[in-house]
Amino acid sequence: MDISTIIAGLLTLIIFTFLYKDNPFYKMAESLLIGVSIGYVLVITWTNTLMDMLFEPLFQNAELTLLIPLLLGLLMLGRFSNKTVALSRIPIAVMIGSGAGIAIPTMLYNRTIKQLSASVMPLFLPDGSFNFSGIVVIVGLLSTLAYFYFSREHKGKFGSFAKLGTFFLMIFFGTTFGYTVMSRMSTFIGRMEFLLSDFLKITQ
Amino acid sequence: MQILPRHYVFLGLFLLIGITMALDISVDVKVSPYTKKMHAYIDSLPEGSTLIISFDHEASSLPEIRPIALAMLRHSFQKNFKLIGVSLYPEGTLIGYRLMKNIAKEYDKTYGDDFVYLGFRPQYIAAILAMGESIESTYPQDYLGNDYNSIPMLSNIQNYDDIEAVISIADGSLTTHWIEYGGQFNIKILGAVTAAMVTTYDPYLSSNQMTAMIGGLRGAAEYEKLLGMKGGGSRGMLAQSAAHLYIIFLVILGNIFYFRSRKKGGKS
Repeated sequence: MDISTIIAGLLTLIIFTFLYKDNPFYKMAESLLIGVSIGYVLVITWTNTLMDMLFEPLFQNAELTLLIPLLLGLLMLGRFSNKTVALSRIPIAVMIGSGAGIAIPTMLYNRTIKQLSASVMPLFLPDGSFNFSGIVVIVGLLSTLAYFYFSREHKGKFGSFAKLGTFFLMIFFGTTFGYTVMSRMSTFIGRMEFLLSDFLKITQ
Repeated sequence: MQILPRHYVFLGLFLLIGITMALDISVDVKVSPYTKKMHAYIDSLPEGSTLIISFDHEASSLPEIRPIALAMLRHSFQKNFKLIGVSLYPEGTLIGYRLMKNIAKEYDKTYGDDFVYLGFRPQYIAAILAMGESIESTYPQDYLGNDYNSIPMLSNIQNYDDIEAVISIADGSLTTHWIEYGGQFNIKILGAVTAAMVTTYDPYLSSNQMTAMIGGLRGAAEYEKLLGMKGGGSRGMLAQSAAHLYIIFLVILGNIFYFRSRKKGGKS
């Protein structure tokens, strides 16, 4: 068994000890995870971002346009001092402005217009059968929207319709919770498989 | 009201999963329409098609992501696709490279001819949009430091027009960005995601913004069945079913005690 498997197996068991109660071994493993993760991300960011995309093209290929992102990046460091904090607002403004410019039309199109058009389905399918799912989708959409419409009091028929929306919301939350439980169990099972096969060699 | 100390609940789960895993029994799973669609789409692509596999996940989700990623890679290599590996999360970079390299070895695939790993690029939205213009300018070098132009399988690859589909292997919302920003270039997006993200991507699947999706360990088990092979997904199905029954049992038990205490007028 190689040393990396032994370390990984022991650290997994140490992390599991938290399920009993917090202890110094768990704290050590947790700190190690955070430290290693940050160290790894730092190295990847240095090599793949700063070196590959900034320093090498700028200093080796003399791509002078890269001086602009370099300057903006340096201005961001102004946040470390109260005297220069105003300078950091320039790159932040550039980021927010360009980010919003890219994101707003894209999100409006993909999350609103495309989803809205997909919610409106024909009542009859090409084979002539009644499209029950289409009715469920449109009732679910409208009743959920009604629940989040606060300009009118939720009373009478409107209140009942908004209440129907809460049932759709509960179904969504329940499904999402079920899938999340499934996901966490899958992660645990994956780790148990590692312990039983690679670390303890109980299974193949 | 606390019925029993929480560590007994965890111990029960630990033992249950440990025993069911040690039994090493594969449970037959019914393949869902989701997985069938994913398998059928990949199967329909002609041999030699070029696909991007994007490892958009962190190390913490690897136990769940790994069986899904392996199933996708095995099917792709079986079909003799040309694979371009990328990562839009720093943590997924090395994981993706190792997974691709190991599975490529199983199928005698050569680096540079059959698959290539381009590695990580920061700011995922910018990276997705930039690859739509030019993959070469986004990745002048691959993960190993080879020049883009020196890699044989990339000689005719300029942007998404030369790519059949993107498979985003994700544990979070990054597939959404592939759908929304990659979708602008009319490229097919396939999601191989953790179970927790299935409900997030369902609307995109219904609206055909995403072509196909498999989710979680269950999705991996179903995909392994379609490929006719045994893997981490199928091995974990008995443990998962047992764990779900255990949780349902705990929920029922908790509710019984809750309603009983309410009847007695006690505080919940």
